[in-house]
Amino acid sequence: MSWPKKLRAIFQRQSVEQELHAELADHLESEVDQLMAQGIPPNEARRRARATMGQLSKIEEECRDARGTLAWDQFQQDLTFGVRLLARHRTFSLMALATIALGIGSATAGFSLLDGVLIRPLPFPAPERLLAADGLGMRGPFDTLRAHSQVVDYAAHVGTRPFYTPSPEGLERQEGSEVSANFFRVLGIGPQLGRTFLPGEDQPGKRRVAVVSHRLWRERLGGRANAIGQPLVLDEVSYEVVGVMPASFTFPSPAARLWVPMNLDPRAVGLYWGSGGISVLGRLKPGTSPTAATAELRAWIPRIRAMFPWRMPDAWGTEASIQDLRAALVNGARVQALLLFAVVGLVLLIAIVNVANLLVGQSSARRQEMAMRTSLGATTARLARQLGTEALLLALAGGLLGVALAHAELAALKQVLPPETPRLDEVTVDARVVAFSALISLLAGLVFGILPTWSLRRSPAKIRGHWLLTTEAAFATILLVGAGLLLRSLWILLQVSPGFRPEGVITAEVSASPAVAASVAKTTALAASLREKLGAYPGVRQVAAMNVLPLSPDISAFAAAIEDHPRPPQAPAISLWSTSTTPEYLAALSIPLLAGRRFTAQEPAPVVLISSATARKFWPNGNALGRRLRPVWEKEWRTIVGIVGDVKSYSLAGPPEWVEGEVYVPLAQAVTTVSALKLAIRLTGDPTALARQLPALIRAECPTCATSQVMPMDEWMARSTQAPRSLASLVGGFALLALAMAAIGIYGVVSHGVQRRTRELGIRLALGATQPNVAWLVLRANLGATLAGVALGLAAAWLLARWIGSLLYGIQPHDWASFSAPAAVLLPMALLASVAPLWRAMRIDPARALRES
Amino acid sequence: MKPTSLLQGTLDVLILKILDQEPRTGWAISLRLRQMSSETLQVSHGSLYPALHKLEHEGWIEGEWGVGETGRQTKVYSLTKAGRKQLKTETEQWARLSGAVNAILESA
Repeated sequence: MSWPKKLRAIFQRQSVEQELHAELADHLESEVDQLMAQGIPPNEARRRARATMGQLSKIEEECRDARGTLAWDQFQQDLTFGVRLLARHRTFSLMALATIALGIGSATAGFSLLDGVLIRPLPFPAPERLLAADGLGMRGPFDTLRAHSQVVDYAAHVGTRPFYTPSPEGLERQEGSEVSANFFRVLGIGPQLGRTFLPGEDQPGKRRVAVVSHRLWRERLGGRANAIGQPLVLDEVSYEVVGVMPASFTFPSPAARLWVPMNLDPRAVGLYWGSGGISVLGRLKPGTSPTAATAELRAWIPRIRAMFPWRMPDAWGTEASIQDLRAALVNGARVQALLLFAVVGLVLLIAIVNVANLLVGQSSARRQEMAMRTSLGATTARLARQLGTEALLLALAGGLLGVALAHAELAALKQVLPPETPRLDEVTVDARVVAFSALISLLAGLVFGILPTWSLRRSPAKIRGHWLLTTEAAFATILLVGAGLLLRSLWILLQVSPGFRPEGVITAEVSASPAVAASVAKTTALAASLREKLGAYPGVRQVAAMNVLPLSPDISAFAAAIEDHPRPPQAPAISLWSTSTTPEYLAALSIPLLAGRRFTAQEPAPVVLISSATARKFWPNGNALGRRLRPVWEKEWRTIVGIVGDVKSYSLAGPPEWVEGEVYVPLAQAVTTVSALKLAIRLTGDPTALARQLPALIRAECPTCATSQVMPMDEWMARSTQAPRSLASLVGGFALLALAMAAIGIYGVVSHGVQRRTRELGIRLALGATQPNVAWLVLRANLGATLAGVALGLAAAWLLARWIGSLLYGIQPHDWASFSAPAAVLLPMALLASVAPLWRAMRIDPARALRES
Repeated sequence: MKPTSLLQGTLDVLILKILDQEPRTGWAISLRLRQMSSETLQVSHGSLYPALHKLEHEGWIEGEWGVGETGRQTKVYSLTKAGRKQLKTETEQWARLSGAVNAILESA
């Protein structure tokens, strides 16, 4: 049939229907006329005409069918009917829609997270050819490899660090990254304006140039084209702005506002060979493979090791490897993203089971309607289509709401997740994500449609209820175990004593000019003057300055030689954590001195304090005082003069596993220069006033200093546990949601069960069953199903728990408390959700129940 | 002998054949069917209409509303050019098929 006619048939439904009526009426009249002409009385003629004609409504239906608009027609009918049904059963609809929306919304938010962080390719051309070379870490090895590689175009960056630019309000902090000159070319992203770096601009003796981000260009350089060629003062040194990157370029971090060439000067031996922190990435040259890159890297490692100006341990570089760049970037977040996705997946499954359950319940309530439809000529297929349309309507409406909800959920997720989560800025609800939620909505619709249809054919008791209960309980159990494990782990982590008292302490970061930062003596003088100035502030008890605060995410370690503990020349040196600090440090943070003495402001000879764990580890016989240690590159030994309490320097979970001990050295004897001083100020009374005035006070003392990160020590501590806290709260929150859904589901199943068995229960009551008998009868089956679900869920959780072991602290993945929690929570909840329907079951009036059915 | 149930699609050819003679209303077609096949082919009047609507939407016949002798609104169907072609094809096919079947039946 031609499209115009089809469209007419669809859109001029009214007139086509009228024509059909008229045509059939005309036929009848003609037949009657003819019969009457044969002498048959009018009434009889009319009766016979109708008899030969057949059922009019059926003919009309078949005619519509012949016109090919039937499916559309019925769909429209079903849709209208479905909408009406939803509108009529408002409570049911609201509950179902809310459940689906929550399920799909959560799953969508979870998927966009997973997609943005793990699945989506990096926003660079040919991202599959980008790789990361792990384990090189220093300028020298990178520079050598870049110069010689036949397989890979290597580039490098130094993460981000603060740069300070003068602004009307003093110095302004801008995050920036030092990158190799070919960095942008290797990534394949060109500038929006101007140019990126020229080859060789990372070599010594070149003009100082900078590429700025779109945002910095707009906010600080007026967003004009003539910004190119302008000077930009960074850390008191003038750079020339040569290019502006597009707004979409956020590598290596969304915080990056500017890029400057890194210094690759082989003559600066310490920097070139000795300082780490370099991330090496690369792009495979045409016709090469990651395998070839790995082989080449392996071959170069021994040669590079031999180039070091000092002897490197034989172990150096043996761990170096080539990895896909995306995998390398998101490595740490992989388990978390997968876990969150699994969690929202379970929430979605519970939501689907819940709604399917509601629908099955409803469809058994609609058996009468269905029976009526069947007797009026509807086939099972037709009924299935009707139920299917209703289900689809529900699923799609819920899905639509869900996508809207996903926006909000994602915004909340981004708030809760640690800001250092890789690629978090790339996570959005986009076409891919919407396609995903459309897909799961359709699948949900399918489930919603199939289950009630299935239940039409068989006895509803068989499909209903119990296995839905079991499924729900199982899913909820898995979630509860996961949440239990993470929450218990977090609880244990938060119980860990940091080794200092954070109450009443304010912390801040003070960046001095490069001239000061480059000289330990000048840094020490600055610390002294700040102590003088801030110590005079009312209420201030101690002012301590140091290179790193405890619980610092920044690594502060050096390679050490320890008296009595020589290492063979091939072995890696001992790594010790070092805090370079002023004498007030211990008092300001209330760290106890266990043996020996503290520092004084003027130490004539090199001295160190060590932590008690370090003392126990290297001198188990308790004779640590008076022993000596030194950085491997120094000749002079430093004498241990005191032993102090253990402090969590790096994280509450402990130091990185390669750190073997912790030492404190006087700031004046700092192991390396201090790029930014940290302050810890202990005071009595309200710290907020001082916190507010701190930047001004510091600027008054040191005009070239920039103050940032002013916060109470408590807050600083809280930051260090943000990752486990956010994960535990997210999983816990979703588990609560799942629990609420499961409660609703159980309530639904039990109350439908009671409704369905009203007659049976009435008979039992009439035959002398007591009310408790009846209640137990109802309860037994449901409790059994819930228990079975809990058991299944525990078994599944047992198998899955190992998988999140890396996220746990202080407990085993098969922690008994976490595994017993679901039963302790779910069973009482199941009982609670059953109370109202049970009450109804016990109150069944046998006489009425029997009469009504 | 019980009336032969109409072979699938045969009704379509018959309608086309009937309309090849002259335009008719649905009722007239049903009358003609009854006369032509002398009740061998029993078609309930109702089942004619779906077939008519199908043929109309295939574009083989055309329905036009007018006022009949009785003064009632009535829909008259006539064969279209495409319908004529279709009738020819189907007649040929039918001839071939029945010829083949006859040959088999007679030889057996």
